[in-house]
Amino acid sequence: MTDARWVGRSYETPPYQVTEQSIRDYMEAVGDVRDDGELLAPPTYAMVYGFDAFWQLWTDQEVALDVAHLVHGEQRFSFQRPVRPGDRIRTTGRLTAINTRGDMELVTFDLNAIDEQDRPVSDGIALFIIRKP
Amino acid sequence: MKTMKALDFEDVRQGQALPSLTKHVTVEQIRQYAEASGDRNPIHLDETFARSAGLPGVIAHGMLTMAFANQAVTDWLGDRSLLKRLQGRFAGMVVPGDDVTCSGTVASKDDATRRVVINLVVTNQRGEKVFNKGVAEAEFPPQRSTTHAA
Repeated sequence: MTDARWVGRSYETPPYQVTEQSIRDYMEAVGDVRDDGELLAPPTYAMVYGFDAFWQLWTDQEVALDVAHLVHGEQRFSFQRPVRPGDRIRTTGRLTAINTRGDMELVTFDLNAIDEQDRPVSDGIALFIIRKP
Repeated sequence: MKTMKALDFEDVRQGQALPSLTKHVTVEQIRQYAEASGDRNPIHLDETFARSAGLPGVIAHGMLTMAFANQAVTDWLGDRSLLKRLQGRFAGMVVPGDDVTCSGTVASKDDATRRVVINLVVTNQRGEKVFNKGVAEAEFPPQRSTTHAA
């Protein structure tokens, strides 16, 4: 069981430099390659520039989540503006709740992404489910 | 690549079904997604590790399924910048070899805010839901004036 005292701990990603290549790699990987004219990242690209926040939480030795039994249970995103090559985006992830449901542990992680001018880019809430081994 | 024209708000109807989108998931695609997203968790890449974690084998990232749901909506919208909200629950595992189909329905349309809410579900080839309670919301740009100044 993860210690509830870690609720409130936050993680900031280094600035993520969005490149045309990174957007195209993502579009190829998910198979969403339609050309809208201007190259805009598919909205779920939020998981690319924000992923390091997940990684920092998963590898935090003090919080020590049982990541081998962790699955992504739910995800919410709000998009304040489209993302383009040239954007530099920082995401802050915050552990906001640890609950139990039956023999599962539910970990809530909020995401908040901003650009170089500190303007909002996207917000998210992830719910991770940790199954008992 | 194909280019599409953006959807007109006036053409959206409550209850309207979006064109469905089906994707065949492969080991190669999961690897490609791991590289593109940075999420190299071994449950997605290492068969032995996945089994030791109590899974049937490697599983696709939930966010790959959500990317499919995203595409089903933005293909219909014809403009990725219109999507303002996307959420859902990863209700079941997606494994290599699965064919998953994204289906969406317009739940509501608000003429004042020019916002449209879409309910989404993704099912596999057995009809099992792998992504449910899906909701997307799009906001259309202000209506262009149809009258011309004299």
